[in-house]
Amino acid sequence: MKGLCAIFAALFAFGVGAAFAADEWGIEHEEVARIEATVVDILCELTGDCPAGCGAGKRQLGLLQDDGTLLLAAKNFDAFAGAANDLISFCGKRIVADGLLIRDPAMPLFALQFKRLAPDGEWSRANWFSKDWGERYGADKASEWFRHDPAVKGVIAKDGVFGIPGLKPEE
Amino acid sequence: MTGRQSGIANEEEWDVKGLRAIAAAVLMAAIASAADAAAARRVTVTGEIVDTWCYVTEIMFALGTAHHQCAVWCALGGIPVSIKDDDGNLYVILKVEGDDTSVANPGIVRIQTHKVTAEGDLYERDGVRYLIVTQVADDHGIVTLTHDEYGIQPFGE
Repeated sequence: MKGLCAIFAALFAFGVGAAFAADEWGIEHEEVARIEATVVDILCELTGDCPAGCGAGKRQLGLLQDDGTLLLAAKNFDAFAGAANDLISFCGKRIVADGLLIRDPAMPLFALQFKRLAPDGEWSRANWFSKDWGERYGADKASEWFRHDPAVKGVIAKDGVFGIPGLKPEE
Repeated sequence: MTGRQSGIANEEEWDVKGLRAIAAAVLMAAIASAADAAAARRVTVTGEIVDTWCYVTEIMFALGTAHHQCAVWCALGGIPVSIKDDDGNLYVILKVEGDDTSVANPGIVRIQTHKVTAEGDLYERDGVRYLIVTQVADDHGIVTLTHDEYGIQPFGE
């Protein structure tokens, strides 16, 4: 139940939070966090393999804090979407990231809800995945992009919802 | 020695100093690079390809067939994909067989939920295991059948 609340919060809370402060999602180990950090390409940060522009959106991005701590920005505010679309234009720049720091024993994650250029840029909701998707496929479907995405449909049509061709849900 | 000769001698001296400085810088860079390389560890990991967010946060049941569709959504939505081994350790995939696309990589989506054996370089940083997969040595397909118990996560359809 707690999990579903978090999902629905992420799905339907668009427009809420005009104060540009993160919502709690009811996830264990979560804490509302506002941090200043530099947006980095994680593969570059770890290995020195550093293409221009943090890989232009195809690589996972992180938030490098002043003390050297690297946070994996795993999630944005859209349903079932990551944070790369929100962060890629800030590659190499310092931002203020507002969201949830999840200090799970398995691994820490950051869920981005708002972001702005540090120190005093304009806040924007971390929902640029659905914005970008909406520009390609239609804004009216963007909030539930996962039900309409051509790539998703292709994979599910081929392998089924369970991932095993021929294995179907009971009617 | 003329003034000009003296000047040339000074230039040569500076050239030597400059070369030493460059050599020192190159050496430092090499040492730093070696230190970075030393941070990586060669590993072989066997486990299920999972959606990192759903699995870590436990916002739903996030393993096997029951979660496959959602794992596809999340992977194509750009959420990091990991390998979960039998001990519950997660390895966030940053690169697969030379392909450095870790956001919505169709090749990774194709093996979502599969049990795989992967060889690669492991980097551990601030509580996260990052994996550069050099070879997917074995793909066992989907072996974790959870849909009878958990249905279709998270919406039942």
